[in-house]
Amino acid sequence: MKIKVTSLYVDDQNKALRFYTEVLGFAKKTDFSQGPYRWLTVASPEEPNGTELQLALNDNPAAKAYQQAIFQQGQPAAMFFTEDVKGDYERIKARGAEFTMPPTDVTGSTIAMLKDTCGNLIQLTQLARY
Amino acid sequence: MTNLQQYTPGPASGAQIRKDGEKWTLILVRELRHAPEKVWQALTDPAHLREWAPFDADGNLGTVGTTVKLTTVGAPAPHVTETTVTRADAPEVLEYKWGGFDMRWELEDLGGGTRLTLWTNIGHRFIAMGAAGWHICFDVLDHLLSGKPIGRMVGPEAMKFGGWQRLNAEYAKQFGIETPKWPPQAAQKP
Repeated sequence: MKIKVTSLYVDDQNKALRFYTEVLGFAKKTDFSQGPYRWLTVASPEEPNGTELQLALNDNPAAKAYQQAIFQQGQPAAMFFTEDVKGDYERIKARGAEFTMPPTDVTGSTIAMLKDTCGNLIQLTQLARY
Repeated sequence: MTNLQQYTPGPASGAQIRKDGEKWTLILVRELRHAPEKVWQALTDPAHLREWAPFDADGNLGTVGTTVKLTTVGAPAPHVTETTVTRADAPEVLEYKWGGFDMRWELEDLGGGTRLTLWTNIGHRFIAMGAAGWHICFDVLDHLLSGKPIGRMVGPEAMKFGGWQRLNAEYAKQFGIETPKWPPQAAQKP
């Protein structure tokens, strides 16, 4: 058993695909549909066969309520790990993303937080080296 | 050998695509040798839909204002959406949504037969796949209405079927678009 895919609800899959590829820099992995259901995933170009992130259309009222509540609380819906949070912050900001927290030292790591434009906060994490 | 194993779909036909801004609509026309009232029942009654449609309904779609849950059959994760029937002029026009798709059905009386037209918006990338899927659904519907059901063929059952793959390629060619290869790269055995 492996952790191969994790899911994120988005309000628009085309918009999400643009943001996660063109702004964040991930690569489209799988994209197919069945009726109105569309299975869409991206992966990191650093790890093309690694864990995939599913960009799932949020057409579920219960999930919408949850998504909005954790967004308003400032809770990230997903975390991505990086070796260079400051570099990623500058790069992603230059492509137009809105950060709600610049790189900030916290216990054990440096984190930054941004809006994915699709209803979520995303945290970037760089683990501290001791 | 079952009827389904003997079934081979005919060539791609009766489909058009239309573009309004970013929105693509697939239009499918099929002539059936059955009266509109009979076709209407197959389009609205959950017990009939279960025999041919790519979704299950938990209520009858034949009354305007009714809210019905539609379950996409065979989706790669459970997919249930709620719709309200916005038009139900039996046995002529039926409108509701299936997930993000607007569904408009028109039934034209051909004197004992019915010309059935479906308008459905669908992502451009998947429009040939949708046309191939509905083509097979309409064949299954035709058999059902003739009293010789061959069993519903949707989702994974359709996609691994050679007839669906051929129709997907034929519709893509007719529409002049590229369609995803099936099975997807990731699903192929190494």
